[in-house]
Amino acid sequence: MTALERAAPESVTELSDLVAGCDAVERKILIVGGNTLNGMGFPPERADLTIETRRIAGTASYEPSDLTLAVKCGTAIQALAASLAPHGQFVPFDAPRPQYATVGGTLSSGWLGPRRHLYGRPRDYVIGTTVVLADGTIARAGGMVVKNVAGYDMSRLYVGSFGTLGILAQANLKTLVAPQHSRVFLARLPEGTRSRAFAHVASLRIQPAAAFWIDGFDLTVDGDDGDDGRVLILLEGSAALLERATRDLRSALGGAGVPETRIVDAGARESFQRTVDAYVATLGERSVTYRIFAFPERSEAIVRSISERARHFGLRCEAIVDLMNGDVIARVSDADALALGAKIEAFDDGLHEIQPGAQVIASEHPHRQYLRVWGQVPASIERMRALKLRFDPHRTLNPGRFVGGI
Amino acid sequence: MPVEGGVVISFARMNRILALDVRNRRAHVQPGVINLDVSKHAAESDLFFAPDPSSQKISTIGGNIATNAGGPHCLSYGTTVNHVLGLEIVDEHGEVFTTDLDGPGYDLTAAMVGSEGTLGIVTSAWVRLLQLPETVRVWLAAFGDVDSASAAVSAIVAAGIVPTALEMMDAVITRAVEAAFHAGYPTDAAAVLLIENAGFADDMDACEAAVEAIAKDHGAISWRTAAGAVERDALWAGRKGAAGATGRIAPNYYTQDVCVPRSKLPQALRAVDAATTAHGIVVGNVFHAGDGNLHPLLMYDKRNLKQVAAVVESGNAILQAAIDLGGTISGEHGIGFEKREAMTQVYSTADLATMARVRDVFDPTRALNPEKIFPRGTRCPEVAPPADPTARSA
Repeated sequence: MTALERAAPESVTELSDLVAGCDAVERKILIVGGNTLNGMGFPPERADLTIETRRIAGTASYEPSDLTLAVKCGTAIQALAASLAPHGQFVPFDAPRPQYATVGGTLSSGWLGPRRHLYGRPRDYVIGTTVVLADGTIARAGGMVVKNVAGYDMSRLYVGSFGTLGILAQANLKTLVAPQHSRVFLARLPEGTRSRAFAHVASLRIQPAAAFWIDGFDLTVDGDDGDDGRVLILLEGSAALLERATRDLRSALGGAGVPETRIVDAGARESFQRTVDAYVATLGERSVTYRIFAFPERSEAIVRSISERARHFGLRCEAIVDLMNGDVIARVSDADALALGAKIEAFDDGLHEIQPGAQVIASEHPHRQYLRVWGQVPASIERMRALKLRFDPHRTLNPGRFVGGI
Repeated sequence: MPVEGGVVISFARMNRILALDVRNRRAHVQPGVINLDVSKHAAESDLFFAPDPSSQKISTIGGNIATNAGGPHCLSYGTTVNHVLGLEIVDEHGEVFTTDLDGPGYDLTAAMVGSEGTLGIVTSAWVRLLQLPETVRVWLAAFGDVDSASAAVSAIVAAGIVPTALEMMDAVITRAVEAAFHAGYPTDAAAVLLIENAGFADDMDACEAAVEAIAKDHGAISWRTAAGAVERDALWAGRKGAAGATGRIAPNYYTQDVCVPRSKLPQALRAVDAATTAHGIVVGNVFHAGDGNLHPLLMYDKRNLKQVAAVVESGNAILQAAIDLGGTISGEHGIGFEKREAMTQVYSTADLATMARVRDVFDPTRALNPEKIFPRGTRCPEVAPPADPTARSA
């Protein structure tokens, strides 16, 4: 659901005036960035005005020698990467479809990518923010320094708040020095090798930047499935480190009974990105993609139980497991939207019996609104509701989109 | 310190490590656990807790969480907030609630960490543990003047090298440290850099060559690699004991804590020098240079009221200088009572009122750590606590 009336303000003040105007007359606002994570969260309960952030874009300031940057939130992640790359820097946000995904959307959605076990979470790169609150207040927090304990950590609070506390207008970020080299490993897993491959990869001394076990996603993700699926592993670092990591990884996979591996150096980053893109890739209206945050030791059992349940319902299940963090991405689908619609609610009920935390992260199916898209309601929901009430008493911003219908 | 009377709650007896989950690299701890004890306990499993404030032998996890403590190694590992996975909290009504970093909903963990006890009382925490590095190397670079040393720091960061720790000490500090600990610091240099890199052996020589070249380009008068674990530990013990060692210089010291953009380090140190010289105060600098986080120690005798006044004025001048350089008024020690009025120098009334909304939700009656963080008085009436006497006495 989107509002017929749309606005794309060009400045923070324009945004502030727009929001304050809506709030005063109780018009509801739907906030959109790059439209890449529309499948997350509940549909808005009402939207009188859609605000697009894409024109509040560009770098506000960049000091490569400080490893800090201030970026406006409508900036596409890819455009941000392009301004950092000439200085050999990056931010490890790992957003799907970075050519469209915005800085504001990636942060507001609380997106967690596969390299976070190595580089940390997007929230840990945010050193300052400018937000527009529901009443139009322009509030700043943090600054341009990498350590700052002056007052509450408002910036991290806004990250992952789904725009329901305020609209992110600018983010000040720490940047990282980009790794010198990237290398991708691809391997088909022969029958009976999955468990050992999971364990061996997880126990590598030089941790891969990302390691995925994949089953399905044939056209979107590189490689071909063996009987037990396939792995796609990203190594990052200096040439010397990669050389050792390559030996270790070959021997770890060999020890797991995986005879052949293929190395991709040119295009390794792109291969990794295609995997991240697959997290939210839908099959039109005939798929729903779930995400479960688990400990790595549990993820294999979780995939197995989800696949069994899908089979029980006659649904196809494709999966990506982030072996380093334990995340399970499961895309269930059927022949067409009608067939999926007949089963998906019952499947969703059953799934949440075994995985109460399962969240929907991508779907264009109309029945998405009936699913438990945020998983179980968190224990501190009443405090979260109180926070929402204090920041946005008229429920002007993204009403109903967030956890518990906040 | 209770500034308005009230009850002081001590966590000295809630000092147990409740669980160590080696496979998932995390520990469940009570707030009274000493920071260093977590790492000691985890070391048997090849793990450690990364935040390492210099006070880690005595500071507790609860205090680290309240102030979002840093330490030398947060340059590469991040501050406490990066290492807290979830909290159990008691609110002002005595109700218990929990936060979970991986759960859906607002990041209440982040709101709590660094809130100086004003939003709730942490009664236990799940903290993240990291794998102990395979190789650690520590280098010591000495400089003939402070300016060259701080320029070297900025250059190291600008070259894209972020070691695990990048600390600076001036001559006032190294002499005091050597007198107290014989840690191995040169006493004839105006400033030394203590640099540590942890990681894989494969990368170490390249990192060493790059840092050494930058140090020498900036006029380092000596360069040394710590020979082994014993020498490394001695250097670190000296660094972490530096503040205590200044007892040989003056009976009291006042630690200022400001943070500036890293390229502004040379200007910031000049400003510290100017601010203290103007008041005839002896200053020693020992700080997290790689983060731009300054800790000038202002030496004085608290029995001398003139000196006390001079220290206060110098401290304020340093705060102002940091702000003027685009920095902030606290990098890791917090605002507390002392710096709350200075909050208006870095934040607008609207910014502070926005923070106060969070307080309104979690501590509407201002029962928890009253008089901390938020300024009072005419300068910022909007964020003063609600004037409801019945609520305050509740």
